[in-house]
Amino acid sequence: MRKRAIRNQAFTWMVAVAALASLFGAPALAQQPICSAWLIESSRFMNVPFGSFMPDRAFVPGSTKPESNIPSVDLPVNIGVIKCGNELILYDTGWKQQDYLKMTGSDHWAPLPDQLKVLGFNAADVTKVVIGHAHWDHAGQLSDLPNAVLYVQREELKAIEWALNYPEPHIRAVNSDPGGCNRTPACGYMPLTVEEVYGKVLKGKAVIVDGEMEILPGVRIHPAFRAHTAGSQLLEVPTSIGKLVFGSDAFSSYEGIRDWMTANVQQTDTVQQFLAYEKCYKITGGYNNCVAAHEPLSYTDKYPLTKNSWVALNGGRMAELTLAPGEKSRKP
Amino acid sequence: MLAGVVASLAATGGAVWLREMRPPSMMQPVAQTISTRDEKPQPPPLTADEERFATTLWAVHREATRSAVALSFAGIAYQTEGRDAHALAQRIEPLAKFFHDAETQVRAMGAPPSLTASQGQYVDAMALYANAASEMLKFTGDGDRQRLNLAHEMDVRASEDMLRVGEILWPGQYKPH
Repeated sequence: MRKRAIRNQAFTWMVAVAALASLFGAPALAQQPICSAWLIESSRFMNVPFGSFMPDRAFVPGSTKPESNIPSVDLPVNIGVIKCGNELILYDTGWKQQDYLKMTGSDHWAPLPDQLKVLGFNAADVTKVVIGHAHWDHAGQLSDLPNAVLYVQREELKAIEWALNYPEPHIRAVNSDPGGCNRTPACGYMPLTVEEVYGKVLKGKAVIVDGEMEILPGVRIHPAFRAHTAGSQLLEVPTSIGKLVFGSDAFSSYEGIRDWMTANVQQTDTVQQFLAYEKCYKITGGYNNCVAAHEPLSYTDKYPLTKNSWVALNGGRMAELTLAPGEKSRKP
Repeated sequence: MLAGVVASLAATGGAVWLREMRPPSMMQPVAQTISTRDEKPQPPPLTADEERFATTLWAVHREATRSAVALSFAGIAYQTEGRDAHALAQRIEPLAKFFHDAETQVRAMGAPPSLTASQGQYVDAMALYANAASEMLKFTGDGDRQRLNLAHEMDVRASEDMLRVGEILWPGQYKPH
């Protein structure tokens, strides 16, 4: 009898809590926008030795094991396009191929403004740009987004500057060949890219982020320090298929996140990269909604989130990840 | 009925969670797409003379790229850390000297005839950076913001010029990151 009374009391509490949640929780949820999201292939780095991308997938001649029988892969450079109400957000901006920067060994590059047009957007309509980190192949083309406010972590900027001032020339080196850098702390921060970041700061169109920040209701920057570079950051986005987390090179490989293997080790603490993977599992409930920057399986059904894809400009691919209610499909 | 719905949702959610959390050994290996690169024509290799020039210039270039990024950072630090003109000047002065010296040094290098245009372009880049640094220094004196905008434009042009020369002499200087 007493047990039944306790059970009834517990049930009453549960109902009360549920009622309160429906009173206060539902309006809160209603304010949170549901966003649409697409993925753009800025370019593709061709024929990259698998082992240099994922050490645990290094090619072993003669091996029949699936994790070691692939010599090289083509790596897309993915940009996230996110529309939340009237806000158009980019996560990463790829890089800009010019007569002076051909990047032999890459293919399928197209100008970002043209790619946005394919999706029915204008570059001038981009309101926010969140860069996962400031490497040249992720933070290029900023000057083509005149109205966008840039979000970059202070930790990223501090770490580059620390490296630049380090006495040992190898540690402060910015470029790679000959005898320069590969994974040292300032490596990959090309002068033109950093100058474009400065251009945003100079024009008052940059927000220097310290750790976590909500940039729109439900759209949240999460720090992932040292998961790829010192100031790497993730972006959580609410959508109709649940939360997405864009990870730039902290999430270079979807298979890496799924199989708990490190990928694209640059200025990386692999422990922090695994913690960034874990963050995505915690936020999204698994690995399928983690958006990877260089996954070779992107735009195929082997990376299910990106399978709704098509070939667009210069052979580069695009994918419609998810649409908000009422949002029209951009897939031709 | 509510309990049934909740239980059903919980079961579905649990199944999804378990599917996503299970170890990779339980999964089917995914067949990976092997690279399908179409070989593109590569630029002709440098001659011995050109290689020598590239090696000599690299000694300057390695520090020039670092100094160029440092110049951008001086501007970023000024804008984001209290707008201290004195601190900005302290950061810029050694960079201005470096680019001025680099301009002289590169101009004096003996380039093979095939690379004189590249040498000239590199000299121009160093001069642009030196002028940009000079404008930033003048800003610390007179506070005219237009100088910063001008310096930024010069920095962008200099960065592009450096990349143009790099595309010929060190086409692999920036790797996928």
